[in-house]
Amino acid sequence: MVADLIESIVKILFIFGVNIGFFSPILGWVERKQSALMQDRVGANRADIFGYTLIGLFHPIADAIKVLTKEDFIPDGADRLIHTLAPFISLTPAIVAFAVIPFGGQYELFGHRVNLIIADLDVGLLFVFAFASLASFGAVLAGWSSNNNWSFLGGLRASAQMLSYEVVMGLNIIGVIMVYGTLRLSEIGAMQVNFFDWGIFLQPVGFVLFFTCAIAENKRAPFDVAEAESELVAGYFTEYSGLKFVMFWMGEFLEIVTIGGLVTTMFFGAWHLPFVSDQMLLNFFRFAGPNGAAILAILVNIITFFTKVIFFIWLQMTIRWTLPRFRYDQVMRLGWKMFLPIALINIFITGLVILVK
Amino acid sequence: MADINIIHNYPKMGIPMGKLKPKRVRKNIELTLWERLYIFEIIRGMHITTIHFFLNLLGFIFPPKGKKRRIMTVYYPEEKLTLPVAYRGRPVLVMRENGTEKCVACGLCEKICPASAITIIAEEKENGERFPAAYTLDMARCVYCGYCEEVCPKEAIVMSAEYEGLARRNRQNLRFSKDKLLRPEKSVKDRIEYIRGIYAKCNY
Repeated sequence: MVADLIESIVKILFIFGVNIGFFSPILGWVERKQSALMQDRVGANRADIFGYTLIGLFHPIADAIKVLTKEDFIPDGADRLIHTLAPFISLTPAIVAFAVIPFGGQYELFGHRVNLIIADLDVGLLFVFAFASLASFGAVLAGWSSNNNWSFLGGLRASAQMLSYEVVMGLNIIGVIMVYGTLRLSEIGAMQVNFFDWGIFLQPVGFVLFFTCAIAENKRAPFDVAEAESELVAGYFTEYSGLKFVMFWMGEFLEIVTIGGLVTTMFFGAWHLPFVSDQMLLNFFRFAGPNGAAILAILVNIITFFTKVIFFIWLQMTIRWTLPRFRYDQVMRLGWKMFLPIALINIFITGLVILVK
Repeated sequence: MADINIIHNYPKMGIPMGKLKPKRVRKNIELTLWERLYIFEIIRGMHITTIHFFLNLLGFIFPPKGKKRRIMTVYYPEEKLTLPVAYRGRPVLVMRENGTEKCVACGLCEKICPASAITIIAEEKENGERFPAAYTLDMARCVYCGYCEEVCPKEAIVMSAEYEGLARRNRQNLRFSKDKLLRPEKSVKDRIEYIRGIYAKCNY
């Protein structure tokens, strides 16, 4: 009982530390620096402490100080309660969704079974989607409550876009569920021990569609019509300042990490190295004793998982800074007229293959 | 009197005509099937940006020596560009060797200035030479058009390459008097030769 509690608290603190303590501040820096390098620029490099700039790594700290000292502004005529609530609604799902994503296998540690996932739900995948659709409420409510035309248009666009892409994303996932036969994400991860059982080989079309829909769901370029700077000032968060604005920003970055984690878990072998199973890792680290071997194997699992996640974060950033924005009707046409039929055909073909096998 | 060679003394500027080749423009706007599949074109675009990313990352970690760097951003306060002679910075008065100004206070620049930035109070020496007792240039009004330089018969006012020190907290501080405007002739020598070419002043 006590051991379970300690295990849960350690895992929650770990995921919180990695997501909020590491990824969310560092991704702001990564976004600036990577876009700069891709466009032959230098990027942010001026904030310094005692003359050391450390390739611009102090900029997140400077940003945090700036944001904390800014005025918290609520426009005249806005719905005060919902205007304040909206950033929380859009930030929370991004944090919570990581609870069901496994970042390692199951190991025996000091006579206690450790499962490297915060909440091993049997409806894990559904849980992720339930919370992903909650995030769209944040955008819609923020747009509606701001009493601003641009915010309202951004909120409308966000609601329509997220609704239509959620449909396609749900249909994509059915292919994965059919192949692995479970909704539990830790089981989906555990089934990908064999390199050629990775989701990318079993569901290649599903991967492309899921990744695209996930970017559209996150409202980043090329699908950022909801916050298009050149059309609507900043979209649904035009009227936000200070800490509330940063919460939208953090929600977006944490969702990048969550998308990376989901894609890794479903299509890229979760915590597995290619051709290496957990038992092989334990055998390899035999010299450290049973507990030491388990700890080393857990470390290898976590490093493997987060390396894959970081790769997918890099990929999302590259897509974001390479492709121009879709026009709004093109976004809708892509979602309903192209992705929906392809997803349905994908389900059909997956079913046929399973039947033939 | 006019020297025909002046025309051939134009400084060489810009891209030489031989290097200006017209780019081939794609006329058909109809996309091919390959392009309408979109994903392959996305991969092609991402290939280009990824190459740029990794080359620049390499240049970031191991900076190449000399001027061979790929990122040409100028780190402004530490690095400064050498400006071309055609650049019109703030106007300065040209100083003779003995420390007096070349200006004879004819008042042409005061007359032509479209922003009325120049104010001259003229005086006369014992030998009959005119000189400006006070020459005030209001930098808050100056539009950097260069008319004063063009109209000046004595090459006494030229547009220098200076562009710093023009931000003040008080507009009164931007009324530059003679001591702030005078610069030795050596520092604006290139510009004087350049304006002889472009304005074709025949009296030299």
